[in-house]
Amino acid sequence: MNACGRSSCAASNFSPVDSRPGQSTNPRVKVNAMNSWRLVFAATVLTGCTSSIDAPGGSGPNGMGSGATGSGATGSGATGSGATGGKGSGATGPGTGGSTGASAGMGSGGTMVVAPGDTNCNPGVPITSQIPRLTNVQYDRTIKDLLGLSTLSAASNSVPSNLLATDQSGGLTDVGWAAYKTVAEYISAQVMADATMKPNFIACDPAAPNCLHDTAVAFGRKAFRRPLTPEEVAAFDAVIAQGPDITPTGAPAEIAEALLYMFLISPSFLQREELQETTDSTGHNTLSSYEVASRLSYMLWGSMPDAPLAKAADDQALGTPDQILAQATRMIADPRTREMTSEFHRSYMLMGLNTRWDNTNKDTTRYPAFNRSIVPQLQEETEMFFDDVTFAKKGTFNDLLTSTTAFVSSATAPFYGLDPSKFSAGLTATTLSDRPGFLTRLGFLNAYSGGVTTSPILRGAFVTKQIIGITIGAPPPGAEQTPLPAASETLNTTRKRFEQLTAGDQCKGCHTPFVNPPGFALEAFNTVGTWQTKDPDSGEPIDTTSDVALDDTGETTVHVTGPAELMAAIATAPLAKQQYTSKWVSYAYQREGDPNDQCTVNQLAAKMTASGYTIQNLITDLTQTLSFRVRAAGQ
Amino acid sequence: MNRNGNLAMNRRIFLRGVGGFTLAAPFLGSLNEAKGQAAADPRRLVIFYTHNGCLTDKWFPQVQNGPLTAADLTETLKPLAPYAGKLLLPRGFRSMNAYAQGQTIDPHDQACGSKLTCAPISTASTRYAMAESLDHTIAKQINPNKNTPLVLSVGAASTKVKEVISFQGSEMPFPSNVNPQTVFNALTLGTGATPTPTDPGPGMSPEVDYHVKRGQSAIDLVRGDLSRLQKLKMSTVDKGRLQNWLDLLRDTEVGVGGMTGDPMGGPTGMPAACNADTATKLGVTAEALKAASPTGKITGGTTSFGAPPPPGNNEGDNNLKISFTQGGDMMMNLIALNMICDANRVFVFLYPGYVVYNWDGMAFQNDHHGLSHRTGDNSVGGNCGVDGVLDKIQSIDNWLAGKFAKLVGLLDSIQEGTGTLLDSSATMWLSELSDGAAHNINNLPILIAGGAGGYLKQGAAVNVENPSKNIDNGKSTSTCQNGGSIGNTGSTGGNVPINKLYVTLMNAVGCTDGGNKVTKFGVMDGTNANPGISNPGEVSTLTSAG
Repeated sequence: MNACGRSSCAASNFSPVDSRPGQSTNPRVKVNAMNSWRLVFAATVLTGCTSSIDAPGGSGPNGMGSGATGSGATGSGATGSGATGGKGSGATGPGTGGSTGASAGMGSGGTMVVAPGDTNCNPGVPITSQIPRLTNVQYDRTIKDLLGLSTLSAASNSVPSNLLATDQSGGLTDVGWAAYKTVAEYISAQVMADATMKPNFIACDPAAPNCLHDTAVAFGRKAFRRPLTPEEVAAFDAVIAQGPDITPTGAPAEIAEALLYMFLISPSFLQREELQETTDSTGHNTLSSYEVASRLSYMLWGSMPDAPLAKAADDQALGTPDQILAQATRMIADPRTREMTSEFHRSYMLMGLNTRWDNTNKDTTRYPAFNRSIVPQLQEETEMFFDDVTFAKKGTFNDLLTSTTAFVSSATAPFYGLDPSKFSAGLTATTLSDRPGFLTRLGFLNAYSGGVTTSPILRGAFVTKQIIGITIGAPPPGAEQTPLPAASETLNTTRKRFEQLTAGDQCKGCHTPFVNPPGFALEAFNTVGTWQTKDPDSGEPIDTTSDVALDDTGETTVHVTGPAELMAAIATAPLAKQQYTSKWVSYAYQREGDPNDQCTVNQLAAKMTASGYTIQNLITDLTQTLSFRVRAAGQ
Repeated sequence: MNRNGNLAMNRRIFLRGVGGFTLAAPFLGSLNEAKGQAAADPRRLVIFYTHNGCLTDKWFPQVQNGPLTAADLTETLKPLAPYAGKLLLPRGFRSMNAYAQGQTIDPHDQACGSKLTCAPISTASTRYAMAESLDHTIAKQINPNKNTPLVLSVGAASTKVKEVISFQGSEMPFPSNVNPQTVFNALTLGTGATPTPTDPGPGMSPEVDYHVKRGQSAIDLVRGDLSRLQKLKMSTVDKGRLQNWLDLLRDTEVGVGGMTGDPMGGPTGMPAACNADTATKLGVTAEALKAASPTGKITGGTTSFGAPPPPGNNEGDNNLKISFTQGGDMMMNLIALNMICDANRVFVFLYPGYVVYNWDGMAFQNDHHGLSHRTGDNSVGGNCGVDGVLDKIQSIDNWLAGKFAKLVGLLDSIQEGTGTLLDSSATMWLSELSDGAAHNINNLPILIAGGAGGYLKQGAAVNVENPSKNIDNGKSTSTCQNGGSIGNTGSTGGNVPINKLYVTLMNAVGCTDGGNKVTKFGVMDGTNANPGISNPGEVSTLTSAG
């Protein structure tokens, strides 16, 4: 038992499970505890005033904060009591009075309790909304794929969603509804006036007999992402019949425009509906092939199904996991999946507006080579790295930590110790054999560092919490106000000053075993990410050896001598794989930490330990879970 | 007294102009004539919300308890001096979820999420509040169609708790709308509008006629679609969503706001003053809306850490500037227009805090949040890290006070019945924190303009904790005059739960608890975040009766 977490987390948030000794393939890893304690449910906990590593409001693949949709909304405030406990994590942890929001909404037996790492479990199916509205990002992408329209000429060429209400998953508001109508007017007028876009809506002469009716049927199939019901066809026929009354002159082209407008304000276009009410043998609601197609395209692309996927839906060829996998495998090659994957990795790295990445800055009197103008490239090099491993290399989680491919420009080369004249203004691929993985690159090293000196706490906390996945309680009140001890004869390296800073009883429980060690290993890089072997002020040699914890107990540690060994250790750490998987599950399914998903996380994470299991495999396997294929019944 | 009675008989809305003079006649018709009935005299709530606290010892006037006059408002609140007789300064309230006193998550997340909910926040990374916020609770009772409050902000659209204070329910954020054009479109544009929503053309022309019919056709279609869905087995939440949508299918299709209706007044059911002419007089024109509504990315502004601020030719930075200046001012006009149209009676308007002020004479290198810490960045405590940091914070405080005064002045310039829009409303400046470096939330700086139709005391400062005892104005400027250590910039005392203020406001705007006075709001009113209200009831000394 260690002091960290234990002091600030209620004991009920923990339960005993096997620590699965022997899973580690790293000979330097020692597993001390045969029967250790593990956090049942890892909720991230913030450490203080926005300076901490967590950037709340992680978004899903479709550009919206997760959480409010679906089960959470039905689920009462069952998590409230946990939260009022105040100090820490795991408020929603199953087993702590169980149930949580999802089961409350389910009105049935409650949520099963699955411990992280336990693969001998049954995946749960959380309750999800049957009528989520398109998020604004989904709206823009859907309009683009449906009609070929990216920007509104009537609104200064902004993307359509610039005029929509801000995303929120509750009921539609008057502002939101009016905005849909405004934008639908603009789109329908623009499409009908554009010879390129118009055929995406209407393929015949509007004046020709049956053209408008046929258009309603054919376009409706695309816009509603399923065939129209006879009742719906009748409703659109009624609109067409009213044409002369609802248009300026009653001209057929005007009626066509009105028809398009009506589609774009229809609930069945604006909502991703899952309405099929048949149940399977296990009591879950099955999804129609159209609903499966929609889940696939919105998860992988944030947009509507393309023609081959729509055809598979029409052919009822999405009923089995294999059929779904075949489509997912096809779809993953599309650039839209790369976009989605980039967006995931940005959220995994906590990048974005008003984050540490965005605010990266250095004292230029001390680091005159640093210029704020390189900040965008620091993000970009990191994004390109993840993209390269995932798609060009078809790599594994291990490769994220070990790949030596880097993207360098003439502006970033000096910080890597490279000759800028050998690089162009844009980022190009090169090999940095002494910098394996994404945590040894300028982007992370700069963002999680101070303006004047490095911060082993910032770097270490990010690695420990976000990447390895160890749950750390919040620092005690006032901790962050404690000034860093000044350098002195004895405190002659940054490491020593931070060791002194965190030596107190209230700090050392978390900092000594968990937070500091990865940060100390990364002391090999100064605050602008350049290799250093001596303290820049005192000239003292820098010590990059440390014992890094790889699980919540702090009892499984690995001794590393520097960054490369740290990366190798993380690459093989089961908890880090579990963490990466868990982030993917939260992101792809747009629900964070739902206990019903724990089993899915465990089983996918276990697959990642197999050699050759790629990130692409993980993405396509997210379409293979029970909760992807069915929806919860009994609502 | 029946506040809905006599006043309503001659209730007309006039625009006197922000300068106090009357704008061009003809005067606008009466709301009640258009509605054909004696409509209730509306009470309204506006919450003007700013981040990162302020220099409290400059913000608070010296007056502790008693009359508040223009002479008292000499520093930050000076722009409010002309309205001193309509101000109420409640002193001594505290919100209850401070870092390490309540939860230990993040001072800003806790302050924002709990501010209007008086509830803890989720420990999930979203940090969303675990209860409905005040604006929604009130809107359900007093809004004409039970519609949701109008929640607005300058800056970039955000669903993060640091920029969200409105919640529809537990973990159901209700983020702000940031585009003035979108807000305007909700007021004016039914399907009946011409392609240019701000150029409605003549009144009930044939063109408007077809638009009205198209609007009805759209209602029929959408209602049919939603009604079919209603017959399916769905969760209560989903059914609620369907009903929300159905509830919106009212008269909206005929062009709310009269912009496409009768030039002498709005369409049936809408206040007569709610028309294009009024909008123009308020400065809500097509050109002004376009100028005030950025069409691209909005950043938080570029920090420059010791270097001169960048020229601001970056598109995202420019859009931030537009949003904070023209955009914010336009939002105020739209709040007034919404009041005139009686489209909403509950408003929340935010000025988010993670932005670099680089306009109106300010050219800062650090964001507001970093300045509020005195360090220039996210770090807390230690030494003062920015030259002239107090002056910089004061500039922002002054600027925000100017914006609040502008809103107050605008609402006070529009005649309604025997008073002004301001008089019938409670327009409250509410702050995330007291002092930004201390992150304390006791002794919150709160200022309420307008008496909500006579319910609230006017021209007064009220010490709600102990009128006979002096209250602490805080030590915001006690350090960092010339570098050195930041130290404690907070204050002591001032710990009356803010729930009681909210209860007072609920009663002021006409909410009831099953016909009786409201006595409780929120999940908790103690510093340990335990559920339960231990100190119920309104604060009678804030009322004109008290």
